[in-house]
Amino acid sequence: MSSGAAADVAFVAFALVAVAAGYRVFRTDSMVRATFLLLASFLAVGAILVLLAAEYLGTALLFMMTVEMVVMALFMVMFMMNPAGLNPMAMVHQPRLAAGAGVAAGVALAGVAVVADFPDAPVAGSAGAVAALGAELLGPSMLVFESAGITLLATMVCAVVLSASRGRYGPTHDGSVAPPLDPGGDHRPTDDLVEPGGGGHGHHGSHS
Amino acid sequence: MTAARQLHPVPAVALVGAVLGIGSYLVAVTRAGVTARVAGQRLGLAAITVAPLRRARRLLGQQVTTTERPDSATWVLAPAAYAGLAALALSVVPLGPGTAVADVDTGIVVFGAAEVLAVVAFYLHGWSPNSPLALAAGYRHVAAALSYALLSMFVLIAAALPAQSLGIGAIVDSQAGLWNVLRQPLGLPLLLVVALGVTASGPLDLLDGTDLAGGGGAEDSGVQRLAWEGARAVMLVAFAAGAAAVFLGGWHGPLLPGWAWMALKTAAVAGLLVVVQVQGARVSAERFVAVSWTVLLPLAFLDLLAAGVVAL
Amino acid sequence: MTLATVLVAAAALVGIGLWGALGQQSFVMLLMGIELMVNGIILAAGGLWAFAAGGVPTGQVLVIVAMLVMAVEMAVGFALVVAVYRARGADTTEGIGSLRG
Repeated sequence: MSSGAAADVAFVAFALVAVAAGYRVFRTDSMVRATFLLLASFLAVGAILVLLAAEYLGTALLFMMTVEMVVMALFMVMFMMNPAGLNPMAMVHQPRLAAGAGVAAGVALAGVAVVADFPDAPVAGSAGAVAALGAELLGPSMLVFESAGITLLATMVCAVVLSASRGRYGPTHDGSVAPPLDPGGDHRPTDDLVEPGGGGHGHHGSHS
Repeated sequence: MTAARQLHPVPAVALVGAVLGIGSYLVAVTRAGVTARVAGQRLGLAAITVAPLRRARRLLGQQVTTTERPDSATWVLAPAAYAGLAALALSVVPLGPGTAVADVDTGIVVFGAAEVLAVVAFYLHGWSPNSPLALAAGYRHVAAALSYALLSMFVLIAAALPAQSLGIGAIVDSQAGLWNVLRQPLGLPLLLVVALGVTASGPLDLLDGTDLAGGGGAEDSGVQRLAWEGARAVMLVAFAAGAAAVFLGGWHGPLLPGWAWMALKTAAVAGLLVVVQVQGARVSAERFVAVSWTVLLPLAFLDLLAAGVVAL
Repeated sequence: MTLATVLVAAAALVGIGLWGALGQQSFVMLLMGIELMVNGIILAAGGLWAFAAGGVPTGQVLVIVAMLVMAVEMAVGFALVVAVYRARGADTTEGIGSLRG
């Protein structure tokens, strides 16, 4: 693990970036900027992990989070009404409960961090950490590794099933029907939407 | 396990800057020459060496126009981040025996991470101008980028297997007897496909494609345009250096000193890429995504499987 | 850079993530809150591994499991967002009220 004044300064800088960027995620109007502020927070945490002598974990976090955040930006633009933040917007509910819970959780955990008596066994150095991780994953933790693989496979199947164009709830062009006027009722008629299947309304019966 | 060998920061930054600066200029000259040759023009050596400088001077003097309500911060960030990532990728590549800016233990992962972070730069390049053609170009290139990112990961990990290390210096050392391009024949072609995508050029010229009136660069002008085009050339040099180190044996070679061989191999890869860039017809994003996931990715699996079996 | 400072930073991230996850109406922002919380957990696990566990490799495996959880949660979360939008036309938590009793 890096030690010395330079490492301390770097750690404080990265920690401040991570926390400030995390806070700005929920305060900024532009949704795309919010996504990349979250990416900045992850990059800062990855850098701290590298400072803590977990080199592979830090760089792998950088790698993973980048692609996740790009995909999240795509979804932001798809689903948010104000992706560029051209109008000020705040879509919050239960704001005081949420703020209270957040502050309480943060203070409680920070209290534990400061007060609790952790064992003192610093890691020796980063040389060999990657090899040790590899040997561990393919040795004693092989079960974790294999279940991770199967979990990811199940996730891929699940994501495709839920969102494929021949979806579980009917073909997706039916999904672009406007929501019902009263909850649980039939969808509004689709006369004004183009029906590729030809004539008639494409609604399915009442939803459960 | 190689420990991190590091140069002193000041000569390191200067070395990376010099390599990228000279390299990108040579790339621009080569591209001017190949383009002139393909177009049937008869330009002498003097003309093509001056052409990129002339273009740069013209762009520097050009007025910078802007669009309505662009995202100015990310518009400036995109080329800066792209060039910075190229510098990051080059810093983990050994340019000669024992001469890497930071030959870290996880060099291959850093190299891959730099290339994946470039996708963020592509998205921002398309998003920031607040212009429909730019956005469309950015989106279609992100779709292709998510496909080739996976390819690159498998190919680079397969190259790391014989070295039993993730550091690029160790990978170069493991090629002292036999280059990876011969040991893993599928690796370099796939990595060159990735290189075309990372520099958004040639068959994967989806980001700044002329079919979308310049795509992400449609609204760029003046210094902005020069910065983005310069960043693309810089990334080409960095990626070519990485490909030469990982697949062509890096600085190994008889007679000449290590850095000369590295320069020659980088120039060979970069030259090949420039020729493909100028001559290659653009592939549509849907077709590339389909081919990438159904053909190229299984080939990458095969490459990794073969490397794994050999390593056992 | 001591264990206490690393854990305080992680606690701050978890707190901010919880605030966002509870307070945001939009599904995608809610997912970002959860991501921030797992980010804090990863930082805490990394800090504990480096300072209190002596670099035992199982600690790194814990961090990898946390990253796996993040990936799975995001993939399934976005698939659900798409499915809910197609079935109900809702992209905020106020738009789906089927569990309201």
